[in-house]
Amino acid sequence: MQKTFTIAKRELTCLFYSPIGYLVLGLFGLGVSWLFFRSFGPGKAAWLRDTFDWLIWLLILLTPAISMRSISEELSSGTIEPLMTAPVSDLQVIMGKWLGAMGFFILLLTPVLILALVLEWTSNPDWGPIFTGLLGLVLVGGLYMAIGVFASSITENQIIAFIVTVFIICVLTLATYFLGRESSFPTGVRQALNYININARYENFSKGLIEIGSVVYLGSGITLFLFLAVKLLESKRWR
Amino acid sequence: MIDVQRLVKWYGPTKAVDDLTFHIPKGQIVGFLGPNGAGKSTTLRILTGYLPPTSGRATIDGHDVLTDSLNVRRKIGYMPESTPLYGEMRVEEYLHYRGKLYDMPRTLRNQRIDMLCDRCGLTKVRRRTIGHLSKGNRQRVGLAAALLHDPPVLILDEPTAGMDPNQIGHVRQFISELSGQHTIILSTHILPEVEKTADRVIIIAGGRIVAQGTPDELRKSVAGQGRVVLEVKAEPAAVNNVLRQVPGVNEVEARAVNGWCHAVVTPAAGKDVREPLATTLHRNNWIVRELRHETASLEQFFVQITDHQRVSAAPAAEREPEPTPV
Repeated sequence: MQKTFTIAKRELTCLFYSPIGYLVLGLFGLGVSWLFFRSFGPGKAAWLRDTFDWLIWLLILLTPAISMRSISEELSSGTIEPLMTAPVSDLQVIMGKWLGAMGFFILLLTPVLILALVLEWTSNPDWGPIFTGLLGLVLVGGLYMAIGVFASSITENQIIAFIVTVFIICVLTLATYFLGRESSFPTGVRQALNYININARYENFSKGLIEIGSVVYLGSGITLFLFLAVKLLESKRWR
Repeated sequence: MIDVQRLVKWYGPTKAVDDLTFHIPKGQIVGFLGPNGAGKSTTLRILTGYLPPTSGRATIDGHDVLTDSLNVRRKIGYMPESTPLYGEMRVEEYLHYRGKLYDMPRTLRNQRIDMLCDRCGLTKVRRRTIGHLSKGNRQRVGLAAALLHDPPVLILDEPTAGMDPNQIGHVRQFISELSGQHTIILSTHILPEVEKTADRVIIIAGGRIVAQGTPDELRKSVAGQGRVVLEVKAEPAAVNNVLRQVPGVNEVEARAVNGWCHAVVTPAAGKDVREPLATTLHRNNWIVRELRHETASLEQFFVQITDHQRVSAAPAAEREPEPTPV
């Protein structure tokens, strides 16, 4: 466990050694504020729901940009060799990488908290949906990061890792959305597709609902992709 | 300490390591020598558990590298070829990170890092970013990282590549001092490096062991053992005739160089012909300006045996020079 945190800490601090980390933080803060102030003013609802519903789309491009380097960079620079010849298990490596990326992602969400405080200062918002919305963001972000770490362990090319991640996420969001509305499909298939659709699942979070089904769905998605990433990394020892 | 049995590694259709068997006892420094692409790095990577062997078995201190990898990794300090490091980290920070991966408590880490920075000449660059260091300094960071947890087995893949002669000297001395309590296997394609530090040399080419032994043993097995080179003021033909009659002389090659006769005398196996040669030269009243015994260097041996390997491995077509187009 200690080693997992060691790897996570290195991952997180390294994002701040390069300007990329600050750039992403700045741009995200700017974007979130813009989304927020579009629906902020007298007579408008004192909630973050509109912001959240936009944010969930932003994650599709944002999270892969953070996760793409995790394993790919180790593979391309060769640092994977000293890492994998140190007494750390493949699970510790993957968990460390994922936790490090999640740490950055959670840091990224701090502007949202500041915006919530702005709401608190100017009016009287309902904090319930704000927290469930944030929880949903963390869960969905966690799934995207797990997909990203998995894609990153496929290839030493960060661009490919990015594209593969975006592709898988789009299958889980856009594709399921459009196919779920295709009337020629049997109802069962449409229901299944809607069930998989992450954005549809997120809507309930931003409304203020915590559905056990959604939490289990996102949690098992995270577990599945992290497991696949561990297996991929393990397979490198066998080639 | 290190035991390798019939190790074979295929990369797709190419055989990188071909039936390698050797044993390294505790406390020995072994030089792993071979031309580029001989399978040195592959063998070392198998020993560290980074690559699996296609067949065969390797154990380190009784732990199988394949089935007991974590225990093997605790025992070894590995410095990979070209020393990949995190360029954005500071030297000290990187060493602490490595130490944590080996479960070293903070006080021990501080103590070891201080000691190693001092020994590896890193004190001045401790606070510098690794990415800004010179190649030689990066190598030294890699070496310090490999030694950090005081492993009983050290596996160094070309540890002195990219260093200047001064640094090479220091590292060589450092490695020699580590012998005894550490078992060290270091690969290189530079011969003097192992000639001076290693207790034993294993020469591989084309994935096979082509020779092994102490540097002295290897030197002795060099064909032709040694020869005597002399320069006298005389006619080459006369020198040739006279020297051939000296007992123990096998062959003489004499030629004129700027009015002097330069002769190379090859003695029969195991004979020292310097004394009879000197007597003969004196008797003929030739002025001698040089008479020296040339021992074959390990270098010649290395070139001879690895070259032979390459020639015998190459297909016939490659051996013939291509006809030059008119």
